[in-house]
Amino acid sequence: MEGEHKRMSYGVEGVESKEMGKAVGVSACDLAMRVLAFMLTLVAAIVISADKQTKVVPIQLSDSLPPFYLPFTAKWHQMSAILYFLVTNAIACTYAALSLVLALVNRGKSKGLWTVITVLDAFMVALLFSGNGAAAAVGVLGYKGNSHVNWKRVCNVFDKFCDQMAASIGVSFIGSLAFLLLVIIPVVRLHPRTW
Amino acid sequence: MSSTDKPGDTEYRPTSSTPAQAAAGVDYFKFDVILRFLLFAASLVSVVVIVTGNETKFLPLPRPAKFRYSPAFVYFVAALSVAGLYSIITTLASLYAIKNPALKAKLLLYFILWDVLILGIIASATGTAGGVAYVGLKGNKHVNWGKICNVYDKFCRHVGASVAVALFGSIVTVVLIWLSAYSLHSRVPK
Repeated sequence: MEGEHKRMSYGVEGVESKEMGKAVGVSACDLAMRVLAFMLTLVAAIVISADKQTKVVPIQLSDSLPPFYLPFTAKWHQMSAILYFLVTNAIACTYAALSLVLALVNRGKSKGLWTVITVLDAFMVALLFSGNGAAAAVGVLGYKGNSHVNWKRVCNVFDKFCDQMAASIGVSFIGSLAFLLLVIIPVVRLHPRTW
Repeated sequence: MSSTDKPGDTEYRPTSSTPAQAAAGVDYFKFDVILRFLLFAASLVSVVVIVTGNETKFLPLPRPAKFRYSPAFVYFVAALSVAGLYSIITTLASLYAIKNPALKAKLLLYFILWDVLILGIIASATGTAGGVAYVGLKGNKHVNWGKICNVYDKFCRHVGASVAVALFGSIVTVVLIWLSAYSLHSRVPK
């Protein structure tokens, strides 16, 4: 184990560069995962912000008067949980881009950076998961309503809006799994014989 | 056990210590045990506070408010229970590692792995319950969901406190991951 430790140094002794790929730092898998996370969170943010549906609902005040039609629009900014979801995806997307640039620029030169990036990756996992949870909870409320507090479901009317929101949440969930793997994979690579 | 160079160093300075000491990094396991116990306390408090938050108001018929009436809160209780169980197991593991120092390096890896999974679970539970609680607090006129916290004040206080403690628990988990990552990073010799 000691020999392996010694091989896994950051030295630019070119012979050890193969083992360096296994070490704490930048690897191709790491960069690919960051690109993936960036794209997924970007797609999720765009899909939810472009989500809009207008339905014309007939409202009948009484039997004698003809029903008059009111347009109702469903948009993401009407619900705080969806706004939070969008914000967390935007933050995660920006962080993925920044950390990609940072990882490319600092190829194993600064070791303290790995700790910071790991912790920030974990923080992004938490942020994204909480955003997904909030949006999913509100989505389930929209699908099913809650009879105990008299909250009626809305997804029977705004079906396209709800479907698009579900797709966005799904994509964001895969993005958060990418961030999760970003934390786990370098750790697994550090001691491959342990597994 | 001597600790290696400080994290701010980026130079390639070879360690002058023996190979046996080269693997030893900073040892924060005592702090780790304290934090894990704190996580257990936070999970326990969250679950207990939200479960005991039942309230019945007469409007004029008796209408109760329980955590079971919302799937979001049920998921919150389940997730935090899992987190509490996990924190007990890892507290014991951490205590055991203090007795058997040979296990420490391996345990740090397992800790980072499982901590980040549990962080995902706790954070999603916090977000879920927080989102629903916020709708209950403010209502939403666009979808005609009325607020309930003006009526069920005790229930809302319990839910709010529970979500706040769960948020604290997720912060504790991030600090735990930071600790394990820092300990691991200091063990990889320069």
